[in-house]
Amino acid sequence: MPLTRPQLGHDHHMEYSWDRRVARAHQLAAANEDARPLLTTYARLLELQSDAARALAQLSLTGGIEQDLHALATAAHPMLTAAVTLCPLPVVTAITRLLHSSDTVFAAALVHAWEDTAGFTERFVLQPYAEQLAARRIAPSIRRAAHGRSSCPFCGGSPQLSILHADDARHGGGRSLQCAMCSTIWPSRRVVCANCGEEDEHRLAYYVATGLEHVRVDACDTCRQYLKAVDVTRLGHAVPVVDEIATSALDVWAVQHGYCKVELSLVGT
Amino acid sequence: MAISRRTFLQSSLAGGAALTAFGFDVTPLAAQSRTLKIERTSETRSTCPYCSVSCGIIIHTLGDKAKNATPHVVHVEGDPDHPINRGTLCPKGSSLEQDIVNSRRLLRPEVRRPGSDRWEPIGWDQALDEISRKVKATRDATFVAQDPRGRTVNRCEGIAFTGGCTDTNEFNYLVVKTMRSLGVCYLENQARV
Repeated sequence: MPLTRPQLGHDHHMEYSWDRRVARAHQLAAANEDARPLLTTYARLLELQSDAARALAQLSLTGGIEQDLHALATAAHPMLTAAVTLCPLPVVTAITRLLHSSDTVFAAALVHAWEDTAGFTERFVLQPYAEQLAARRIAPSIRRAAHGRSSCPFCGGSPQLSILHADDARHGGGRSLQCAMCSTIWPSRRVVCANCGEEDEHRLAYYVATGLEHVRVDACDTCRQYLKAVDVTRLGHAVPVVDEIATSALDVWAVQHGYCKVELSLVGT
Repeated sequence: MAISRRTFLQSSLAGGAALTAFGFDVTPLAAQSRTLKIERTSETRSTCPYCSVSCGIIIHTLGDKAKNATPHVVHVEGDPDHPINRGTLCPKGSSLEQDIVNSRRLLRPEVRRPGSDRWEPIGWDQALDEISRKVKATRDATFVAQDPRGRTVNRCEGIAFTGGCTDTNEFNYLVVKTMRSLGVCYLENQARV
């Protein structure tokens, strides 16, 4: 069997397109009563991000966050205006503040969020931008490296989740991580903590709930952090970022059992 | 928004209303989490014992470190990160779980008498006695101290031993010690890995 070089996931950008994510969010919202309110909101947010991504696709981007601020502002304004009607009060306050801020403050907020920590609002705006850069292979400006041991090879972001799937080099059950900012998917080893690198099998475990077998909580007892893994070998039509949010009940359970998530989802679960 | 990534639910669950870090309401999901049956499983990387290819495997053990649970193996799969097999396993390797968990596993010695068509249970002491007597009789009858050209060989040509691929290293050590001390030459312990 030839040893193939791991590829950055341009194919996966196609595989989990904005349209596919939106469709999956609506599908899961219809099927899952408990997750319906959260998923309906998330589907709407995805649609707004999708529109922004389409707008950004028409614009020239340099990868330098300061040079691209005009393009970002153009794409961000409509999505933020629409998001005000969807989001809870603390988020609305933050969005309104950003919308009515001067150009300098707006720029400073996005530059800070890109280089360091992003809250909901900035991540909501920056995700479509980062995905555009990844899809167009435009090297992004420097971001602070992820706090854990695993960071995105494209933008340096933290992993949002693991995906268990077959790929060119590995047959079945191979693990990849997906970036919380630019959605790049990169190969990673199984049976190792994505946050602290722990390899002792007695300190690592996964938790699975009956009826939700395609999503696992991969937890580490050394750093007490966890990352969810979506097993697409068990459920082929799962869309990892959406299925992760649909199973937020597992996050509630994990937090109540003393684990802390490596990176929260867009809606904060 | 200065909310740390660690703040999810920590304050809000106590107040009754479950809110995410950014204020999204997850009350129904918090309720759902209380109804979930969640079990802890650990993954152990190991090597398939069956042949000399030495494929990497991952053994899934349910209930490891959990209270009121006896750990048991629930699944064995190919290790996708192992350079030899990259996640694949042959049909025999794929059935490894049944080597560990098998209701048909023999738990006591059995004997099939000459001419009989069935296996019957036999006590451990009786089995040991019968094997010892037969080994002694066979070795005495077939022992070759010198070959036809008068060279000392001290070999036992009437006994052969075959092992199995799942025999442990320690077991194989004892087999070789025992058989070589008897002078057995027809010895195959199937140690491949």
